Amino acid sequence: MTQVVVGQILNGIILGSLYGIIALGVTMTFGITGIVNFALGQFMMIGAYATWYFTDLAMFPFPVAVVFAVALAAAAGLVADQALFRFTRNNLVNGLLVSIGLISVMESGALLLFTTTPKNMDIVVAGSWSLGAITLPRMKVVAFLLLVAVIGLTWLGLSRAWLGRATRAYAQNPEAAMLMGVPTKALQTGVVVYSCALAGFGGALYASLFSLEPSLGGLFILKGVEAAILAGVGNLLGALAGGVILGVTESVGSLYLPSAFRDAYGLVFLVAILLFRPAGLFGGQK
Amino acid sequence: MKALWFLIPLYLLPLLVKSDVVLTVLIFTFVLGILAIGFNIVFGGAGQLTMFHAAAFGIGSYVTFLSMLRFSIPFWLGYLVAVVVVVLISIVIGWICFKFRLKEFYFAVVTLAFAELCRLVALNWTSVTNGTLGMLVLEKPTLWLPGSGVIKIEQTVPWYFLTLVSLTGVLVFSALLMRSWIGRNFSAIRLNEDLAQTLGIDTFRYKLLAFTISNVIASFAGALYGFYTGYIEPAYLAVAQSLDAIAMVLLGGVSTILGPVAGALVLTSLPHLIELPAEMRVAVYGMILILVILLMPRGIVGLAAGLFKRRAHAS
Amino acid sequence: MLLKVENLTKRFGGLVAVSDVSFGIEKGEIIGIFGPNGSGKTTLLSLLAGLLPPSAGRVFWKGQDIAGARPNVIASLGVIKTFQNPQLFSELSVFEHVMIASFLAFTRIKDHSRLSSFLAPGKGEAALRARAEKALTLCRLQGASEKPAAELSYGEEKMLGVAMAMMCEPELLLLDEPASGLGNDEIQNLENVLRDLRAHGTTLCIIDHKVAFLAKFADQAIALQQGCKIAEGRPHDVLADPGVVKAYLGRSHHA
Repeated sequence: MTQVVVGQILNGIILGSLYGIIALGVTMTFGITGIVNFALGQFMMIGAYATWYFTDLAMFPFPVAVVFAVALAAAAGLVADQALFRFTRNNLVNGLLVSIGLISVMESGALLLFTTTPKNMDIVVAGSWSLGAITLPRMKVVAFLLLVAVIGLTWLGLSRAWLGRATRAYAQNPEAAMLMGVPTKALQTGVVVYSCALAGFGGALYASLFSLEPSLGGLFILKGVEAAILAGVGNLLGALAGGVILGVTESVGSLYLPSAFRDAYGLVFLVAILLFRPAGLFGGQK
Repeated sequence: MKALWFLIPLYLLPLLVKSDVVLTVLIFTFVLGILAIGFNIVFGGAGQLTMFHAAAFGIGSYVTFLSMLRFSIPFWLGYLVAVVVVVLISIVIGWICFKFRLKEFYFAVVTLAFAELCRLVALNWTSVTNGTLGMLVLEKPTLWLPGSGVIKIEQTVPWYFLTLVSLTGVLVFSALLMRSWIGRNFSAIRLNEDLAQTLGIDTFRYKLLAFTISNVIASFAGALYGFYTGYIEPAYLAVAQSLDAIAMVLLGGVSTILGPVAGALVLTSLPHLIELPAEMRVAVYGMILILVILLMPRGIVGLAAGLFKRRAHAS
Repeated sequence: MLLKVENLTKRFGGLVAVSDVSFGIEKGEIIGIFGPNGSGKTTLLSLLAGLLPPSAGRVFWKGQDIAGARPNVIASLGVIKTFQNPQLFSELSVFEHVMIASFLAFTRIKDHSRLSSFLAPGKGEAALRARAEKALTLCRLQGASEKPAAELSYGEEKMLGVAMAMMCEPELLLLDEPASGLGNDEIQNLENVLRDLRAHGTTLCIIDHKVAFLAKFADQAIALQQGCKIAEGRPHDVLADPGVVKAYLGRSHHA
């Protein structure tokens, strides 16, 4: 029985890392541009469908497809930023509503292009590893490691690289950062684009593991926002932890309680955390 | 109150227009307008962005219908039961949110979470709600009219007048509310909560009041909607329904009395005016939302009011 | 003793903004609080008004401990605070501001028929309107009644804050730098308003930089530095206190 639990926990961790990369995007966007980009799930979807397309239909090698997919997501992010988010900086409600509008547009686009028929990508890394009685598909482990690596690199970049420190400085005190010569407009756009790229990357890996439907964007952004809030909006490293905790809570919850309410367990946990630790589990604001 | 003059032509419309399509579109406009007005009270009035109104909408349908079935009571009594349920739920959720001083964004997320929870209940409690298959509503509301006695509201024209009268009632209520001292307190909370507190306004109590009133109105819309369409399903409680109402309010004009109705009219009639495949409809919808936020933040009514003021000043 | 503050302390993380401050205010007094920037004056007033929870200490209002109580409760007890940077309800007119501020008075005159006034403004509302107009006239804002408050000048905004505070029927009025940013003409008007309030029995507690303004007004004075009370007594004595002079370092306090 414990092996089932462990297996579920591991699955929860891997799924949670996907939540985590979206959460990272959410948290970064909020910290720098003052809005929550609800459409991040759609950029994840772009990455996912693009990866599927490039790998299965255009027959590119997987890594190349991923690069293209991420670039596409980033480019779309740039367009969205310049056309829309540029006008809603620090206006939470407007930014929310604009991103909701964007979701409608993008999800319809996906429906038109791909229909609701689920798309399944061919296996990239076949086989599985066994730990005792637990079997984990190799691809899942690979995906997990890649996600952790990217999130870790992002965190490193933000704490060491000049651009990263400038970003954090801006998040803490926009005026001071401006006076110090930090290019704020470019920074804001850069963060939006980067978070879309992150989401695209998450989508690319998602495509290698699960089947694709246009509704996946809506599902993941909700999880990403939950995870970000859980960890504390603004807390970067916490975003990954928040995602993992959410993923595990859902997986383990579904074991002992009706799995139909799977989504609810994470929600209930989140509401409870919000009420007793409004700053999130790890405290917000880097 | 001047806004109510706009409703008079609507009362006379059925004498001139016999088209079922037009009347049906208007019926939906009136009902969804009621939902939008409910949202506007808590958002345009008290400034709290809630995502719970769709859940209240759905609860209104479900509880009214189920009460009618279980207790063999007429529509209006069934709806009364729904009101009690909605008030209780609103107080619980509102108490949780406002006691813990959840700010804007978090309030939206938590109300969304609760709404999703309600939807999941409706979806999975199949023994009661029939789950994703939904329920067919064959019963109809009944009214007692002097002269005709008890009549069932079944045909388009009776529904038209029922929903129009309901809308009028809700509009009058919302106008009276917003211009009263309660509405003043709502505005104070919306515009500067700290200042409102230092002036002695118990912001917790008034936010809770706004939230509850909004949900009760939403449930009224839900009851009418479910019985008109004859079908109730868990999707009524979905996020998309909440977003619809938000879009209507924004398009029509936040914090105005008629705005939500104007927005409801445009968004309800749009699919009929422009023939589009279903997917495109949602996309156009999204684009309208974006355009309104960026270009017309005061909405249709706000824009119109501004134009009239300018003309008055110019002359 | 109307207000008794005991060992009031406020910490923000490692920073101690208000440190172990104790003093008392008698009914009908005008008490002035001096101190350079960062001495904790505004934080102290925010603590008294309930806008910030104290880290330690007690605040007795007519014998009842109100430390940590919510701002609206404290306001309903009769303690009203104005803001250093005028706080407004953007979008609304000047008159609507004072009408919102009439809420406390409204709750006091109508404790049973509030519901009926929802349907149609009754006698009570008319009385409140009259009072609102009077408050505006006193603050010399009567001409700006219909103006959006956002269009007021800085001095007018501050006077609007005073008018709103007056509408709340305060027993103790906490004024945070009411004269700062005002021209001489406006300061004169402010003095008249405050004298008028005092004549009607309102107790005043005023923070200001303009030492001269306080010196001729206040009965008692308290000097703060870095969150601590360093002197207390009659304004003249406090201003002559060597510690106070040092705190102001080179700042002249010619009356």
